[in-house]
Amino acid sequence: MLVPTMSVTENILIGLDKPKLALNLKHYDEEVRHLAEQFGIRIDPSAKVWQLSVGEQQRVEILKILYRGARILVMDEPTAVLAPQEADELIATLKGMASQGKSIIFISHKLNEVQEVADRLTILRRGKATAEGIGLEGITRERLASLMVGREVIFNMHKVDREPGEVVLQLEQVSAVNNKNLPALKNVDLCLRAGEILGIAGVAGNGQSELVEVVTGLRECEGKIWLDGKDIANKPPQVSIGGGLAHIPEDRIGVGSAPNLSITKNVIMKNFESEPISHRWQVNYTEAGRHAAELKQKYDILAPSVETQARKLSGGNLQKLILARELSSAPHLIVAMQPTRGLDVGAIEAVQQLLLDQRETGCAILLVSEDLDELMALSDRIAVMYEGEVVGVVDGKEADLNTLGLMMTGSMRGPGSCPPEPAAAGSQEREG
Amino acid sequence: MRLQIVKRSEDPPKWLPIATSLGAVVLAFVISGGILAAVGADPLQIYRYFFRSAFGSWGAFSDVMVKATPLILIGLGCALAFRMKLWNIGAEGQFYIGAFFSSMVVMVPLVDVNTTPPIVTIGLMMLLGILGGALYGFIPGLLKAKFGINEIITTLMLNYVAVFWNNYWIFGRWSDAGFQMTPTFPRRVWLPRLADLAKQNPFFSGMTLHVGVIFGLIVAVVLWYIINKSRWGYKINLIGDNPKAARYAGIDIAKNIILVFMFSGALAGLAGMTEVSGVVHRLQERISTSYGFSGVIVAWLAKLDPFAVVLVSILFGALLVAGREIQPSGVSFLIQGTILFLVISSDVLMRYQIRLVNTKKASVEEAA
Amino acid sequence: MKKTKLMLVILLVFALILGACQTTAPTAAPAGPATPVDCKAQTESETVGNYQVPAPVEGCFNVAFVYVGPHDDGGWSQAHDVGRQWVQDKVKDVHTAYVETVAEGVDAEQVTRSLARKGFDVIFTTSFGFMDATEAVATEFPDIDFIHVSGYKHNGSNFGNLMGAMENIKYLAGILAGSRAKMDGNTRLGYMATFPIPEELRLGNAFALGMQKTCPECTLDVRFINTWHDPIIEQEAAKSLFDSGVQVVMTGADTPAPAIAAPEGKWGITYDYIANCTLPTCLTTMYWNWGPLYAQIVEESRAGTYAGDARYFDGDAGGLGLYGFMEGEELMPGAKDLPEADLQMVRDLVAKMLAGEFTRFDVFTGPIKDNQGNEVLPEGKSLTQVELDCFANAADAPCAGLTGMYWWNENVTAELPK
Repeated sequence: MLVPTMSVTENILIGLDKPKLALNLKHYDEEVRHLAEQFGIRIDPSAKVWQLSVGEQQRVEILKILYRGARILVMDEPTAVLAPQEADELIATLKGMASQGKSIIFISHKLNEVQEVADRLTILRRGKATAEGIGLEGITRERLASLMVGREVIFNMHKVDREPGEVVLQLEQVSAVNNKNLPALKNVDLCLRAGEILGIAGVAGNGQSELVEVVTGLRECEGKIWLDGKDIANKPPQVSIGGGLAHIPEDRIGVGSAPNLSITKNVIMKNFESEPISHRWQVNYTEAGRHAAELKQKYDILAPSVETQARKLSGGNLQKLILARELSSAPHLIVAMQPTRGLDVGAIEAVQQLLLDQRETGCAILLVSEDLDELMALSDRIAVMYEGEVVGVVDGKEADLNTLGLMMTGSMRGPGSCPPEPAAAGSQEREG
Repeated sequence: MRLQIVKRSEDPPKWLPIATSLGAVVLAFVISGGILAAVGADPLQIYRYFFRSAFGSWGAFSDVMVKATPLILIGLGCALAFRMKLWNIGAEGQFYIGAFFSSMVVMVPLVDVNTTPPIVTIGLMMLLGILGGALYGFIPGLLKAKFGINEIITTLMLNYVAVFWNNYWIFGRWSDAGFQMTPTFPRRVWLPRLADLAKQNPFFSGMTLHVGVIFGLIVAVVLWYIINKSRWGYKINLIGDNPKAARYAGIDIAKNIILVFMFSGALAGLAGMTEVSGVVHRLQERISTSYGFSGVIVAWLAKLDPFAVVLVSILFGALLVAGREIQPSGVSFLIQGTILFLVISSDVLMRYQIRLVNTKKASVEEAA
Repeated sequence: MKKTKLMLVILLVFALILGACQTTAPTAAPAGPATPVDCKAQTESETVGNYQVPAPVEGCFNVAFVYVGPHDDGGWSQAHDVGRQWVQDKVKDVHTAYVETVAEGVDAEQVTRSLARKGFDVIFTTSFGFMDATEAVATEFPDIDFIHVSGYKHNGSNFGNLMGAMENIKYLAGILAGSRAKMDGNTRLGYMATFPIPEELRLGNAFALGMQKTCPECTLDVRFINTWHDPIIEQEAAKSLFDSGVQVVMTGADTPAPAIAAPEGKWGITYDYIANCTLPTCLTTMYWNWGPLYAQIVEESRAGTYAGDARYFDGDAGGLGLYGFMEGEELMPGAKDLPEADLQMVRDLVAKMLAGEFTRFDVFTGPIKDNQGNEVLPEGKSLTQVELDCFANAADAPCAGLTGMYWWNENVTAELPK
């Protein structure tokens, strides 16, 4: 943490008992400059922190640690906030530090960075190390990818072959920025048909969250997003909800539910304005309770009653609640992000089966997951995202970990997004 | 033996919030009694007078209800805003602007007060009072919804603006013979009150309770309906609990922030109107003895429940009426402050449990 | 829902507890008229260093006072409290009580009515803003006498008003202040007026006329502060007058702010309360002595002869004082070294005033010129009572067409209020 109104040197000195009485800033400026030069860090010690770019501020943080004589430096996703040139510079700095005898632990999702900067590698998956301290010599990116996403329990999903129908969702040249105002989506083209599951694969942080938010109306974007022939880009969520879009959000507690409200009030979140749940301005809570009880039964939500607060449900039951709400609206399109993450085996199977059932009914499903096995088991096609771009779309049946891994790490590109359209109805409609 | 404060793992039992609130009130009276005794007064005697001057006769109770009326309206407005976690502490300002707007009817004048039927004039005053309060709530609502400006600061500051706006008119334009007040409004535009019936029935003589209290009760029922039965109330509860989920569910949060702020302001504005037309019968300085802030406390003590707001307002009205009986003045504020302090601190009991741990016994058991 | 119900129940229980208190209270009340009640002791035990709830005592004649400020405000309200204590001490079998810090308009009616309901026999309301409220309650309680201080309404039966000719004292203070300013060699004086009402112009003009007697070249600056009682505003106003180079400041508001704000060598004249002239910078205080007037009304009320009249007392009623010149008082240090001739002039006028030979009409007797160069009153002509309390510039004023009080004396440098 830095104090924006103070100079670089002052920030570095914070918390030290170094300047005893008189603060001779000039002297310390010189010291900091010397230290910065030693590690090849470009910085003006007398500049105020608020004047510095994010990359420069990060350098100040590093200097702060070096000034304290640290020998081990731990960095968690240091490049997430940086522009590419800044990231390159950072990596150069880190290499310089390593060559001068410092130890650095560099935590990252981005495989290319890891390969560039690291000497040895530990891979963590769900709290377990799948590789410990292995050298980078002779390790392929595919190997890395499979170590990261790994082989999960494979279920034998009952998945019927079927011809996909009309185009339900189509993205044309969609671009967007993330919360830090850096580009997160770059000219994404995608299309999704009725009765089809399109998997989105990619290492976390390559634009998947932004993609989902753009489609569901929670994030602004450039480009066009067609849902059943209507452009829903930059429209508020109520428009896409009205257009038959169901959304299973990544953050169940923070976005998908109202923790202190009852199950009943949570399941009517999206249909409380339609008959028979409500009439004119009034919500019929008896009817809502009946509806909730029905869903509780059907989706096997384990809770004492429909009056139970949502926050008291286990992760799996909360996810079932969200699925119950979203799927009961008979959607044309389901956008599901990490629907099985953090659930126990039984719940995973239930959720996956529910998605397949929806596919049977002709629903189009956009499934974002970091679990490649899940994607391969469920998807008809898999689009791979890398640094905000769709680098290729593979057929679900032909997909293998190798190709996916290569694409996820940006080392290979696949064919484009939309195969020739069998039914052009959707596109004609929107032109009309 | 020692006391241990442990975080609750389970929800507190349903009776606990009420029990603690009530306990806090009782404890506040005990503590204040202790202070009174310490300065040489007889607290029991004082409390006896205290209760008698608030509930001792129908006339006294009428006085209490007069005080409770603006508190009910303001408390209800605050309760709604607080349900959406909108911290509107600008009720004082909205009250003044409501009072000002309704006074315009008589002072500008907007209608010929002497020929227009009173029901039309009074209706217009109500409408303008509501409108004024709503407009004054609209400003912080818009700032919050569009620019994310902290509503606590804007509403607090707008209170001062409203008071000085009022002062401008009563010191200058509308001043009655140099005093900081308008002339008394003609009787025709006074809200009907019980004392009007004194000619038929002397029982009502001196009872200043006006129909404003009925507005308060109607609004309480309406608000209960809104919160518990209506679509809008559902939206408010949802936004209040998790705005991200509300947005995800397709609810227009900005629109609802503005609407709730306007509703909250409208009720404070109506309170300003009933006070001007029902009690003071003129616009003047200090028409509010900080009703706007007491309303916040009332809403809080009532745990945002509309009917509880009514009851707590009556209790506060009693405290205001009876409290000013004790001379030298100031004791009622002492008690009020103590109540509020204790109620807010008692909230800790919602989240923590206090356990008595018998250390000796525990060690014996361990040994065995 | 359940919560609401439970809360309702508990509050009902609470209300019942309160109800129980009411029914038991009367039995705990002091003994009936069979045993003689020491009314004086009763009042003292309730007020001295104690909290009390104003309640009538059976067997006594009960008198209540409503104050706009704290009973110990060092000004207007405290002067009334001195009056209350006088009544308590001098009138037999009387029990007195007060309610302080009552807001004008909002609370006044409720407080007054509450006192009436409790059964007080006489109620004094002591602020201009209490007038309408007192009138309203008086019509509801015809058996109780209500006396409003400083207003202009009365009903001829149980609602009257009471006020005194403070202009006499302001005139005398003007003589003293003029003398002081002349001696100090600074001819500028200041007046902190409260509101732009006839009373404040009358008092200011009286002061200015007095100044003219001892210091014809002196001028008076006026600031309206729009409050009767606000220690902070009063001090700021006094300070700003002194900062602008004024030698003596006289106030129309409650607190002794002019004396507090006066730097050494300059002087403040305080108002209302006999004992608020304590600082060496205080020249004198122009005070009220309500006691004798209250006592008289209380006696009349007990005898059943009080008839809701309008009483405007002059200097001979003993209700007005200029500190240092009344019986048993010593001059303040600032007044002691003034020319003997000037002091004697004041002493003579005080004596004449007490004898009824010098009245408010003598203060406002021509020749008087206003500060626009117009003649207000020719030689030998006096203002009438209606003119003393009235702005003649308003078309519907009771003194329309007459001289009235909408003018400043020729030595006032301020403009007329709009």
